[in-house]
Amino acid sequence: MIKVEQLHKSFGTNEVLKDISLEIKKGDVVAIIGPSGSGKSTLLRCINLLETPTQGNIFIDDQNVTTINNRNMIKIREKVGMVFQHFHLFPHKTVLENLTYAPVKVKNKTKQEAVQIADELLKRVGLSEKAEAYPSRLSGGQKQRVAIARALAMEPDYLLFDEPTSALDPEMVKEVLDVMMDLAKQGMTMAVVTHEMGFARMVADKVIFMDKGQILEVAPPEEFFSHPKTDRAKDFLEKVL
Amino acid sequence: MNIFSGFSLIAHSIPYIVNGVWTTLEIALVSAVTGMVLGILLSLCKIGRIKILALLADFYTSIFRGTPLILQLTIVYFATPQLIGYDISAFLAAVITFGFNSGAYMSEIIRSGINAVDKGQFEAAGALGVPYGAMMKDIILPQAVKKILPAMMNEFITLTKESAIVSTIGVLDLMRRAQVVAAENSLYFPPLIVSFVVYYFLIMILTILGRLFERRMSRSD
Ligand SMILES: Nc1ncnc2c1ncn2[C@@H]1O[C@H](COP(=O)(O)OP(=O)(O)OP(=O)(O)O)[C@@H](O)[C@H]1O
Ligand SMILES: [Mg+2]
Repeated sequence: MIKVEQLHKSFGTNEVLKDISLEIKKGDVVAIIGPSGSGKSTLLRCINLLETPTQGNIFIDDQNVTTINNRNMIKIREKVGMVFQHFHLFPHKTVLENLTYAPVKVKNKTKQEAVQIADELLKRVGLSEKAEAYPSRLSGGQKQRVAIARALAMEPDYLLFDEPTSALDPEMVKEVLDVMMDLAKQGMTMAVVTHEMGFARMVADKVIFMDKGQILEVAPPEEFFSHPKTDRAKDFLEKVL
Repeated sequence: MNIFSGFSLIAHSIPYIVNGVWTTLEIALVSAVTGMVLGILLSLCKIGRIKILALLADFYTSIFRGTPLILQLTIVYFATPQLIGYDISAFLAAVITFGFNSGAYMSEIIRSGINAVDKGQFEAAGALGVPYGAMMKDIILPQAVKKILPAMMNEFITLTKESAIVSTIGVLDLMRRAQVVAAENSLYFPPLIVSFVVYYFLIMILTILGRLFERRMSRSD
């Protein structure tokens, strides 16, 4: 379980996260939505220790990660995978190498084990035939599916997605969402920052609405989408739906 | 005496001059490797989080960029022996000076290459739990080097040409050998032209090799 308690994060004098508390239970899919600049990415990045919180606590499986040393930080990052808007595949490595690099380097898997896992994952995201290709040869949708497979290759307990389909051409959004839905069905714990309201509605167990660094609403999707409580959520939904 | 008879007069010395190319190349290569290793270490200091190392690396760079190379060479060869009480061979003095000097320039080139790598690469590696050292070695530096290959090739070519000043401390490189032959025969044009031509072809060959290497490296794009 991921538990965030009274989290604050400032960049200089700009307070980007204000008193954020939330819980993500094992097996849950949480959709995080909200206008641009509301702090969604920053929240994910704090959970994944890419940013250091200014105040507050984050617990991952009961371990407080805000006071963590380097070695344990690596352990946490093994547990928590991240998928970025712009993929960030390693361009000088083939698809297969992208998937096997970290498991071999970080989890001390043998090359053979890592390749076996990678092969299965590539099959799962429908890209077996691209194993030897370099990322520059892939379409956006294919890149993102590889990026998801790369995160899964670390066998994480949690997977964070930061607008995984926002950089994609419309016709490629579905292939990525399909992979994510499949993951959700398999019981993967996921936090997804997204503008895909259809996906949030269909797949999420819980929707978190953020605005200006605060969480304004937490509700099951059907409730949030049909009866938003705050005016800002109503405004936001009017604009995006 | 016309030019042709001048050349025939020194004909037997031409192989001697041309063979100076090996000394020149040896100095350039050893210095380049030294400079590369130093450059990587210095650039890592410069981009790292330890302020004192960053300051020291910047200071190191400013010293080598802020003084004439020939003065650095002279100090290493003539002044340090008086300081440490040991003689230092001309070749060693040459590769130390050029290696250390090149390290300063390389560190700036490599730093700019690292800065040119997409920040997302650091984050992706970080999010996968890849430790800093491995991330630099396997993910960041290979991409940085690819971006700066032309600049590094340029630095190597400059190094090869500039190595001619080792002639001032008596290293028998391409330049010095031409001077020796010239002095022996009191005849300047032919021997100097021989070394001139050899330098030119050497640099052309290095340039072409560099281009081929760049093309090979960019295959994944
Ligand atoms: N590294 C940083 N340094 C300074 N300010 C930052 C940094 N990262 C984010 N911010 C600021 O924090 C605020 C929240 O940014 P964040 O990226 O978390 O928003 P977001 O909800 O993900 O927006 P979007 O939907 O556009 O991705 C913004 O005002 C942004 O300018
Ligand atoms: Mg964002």
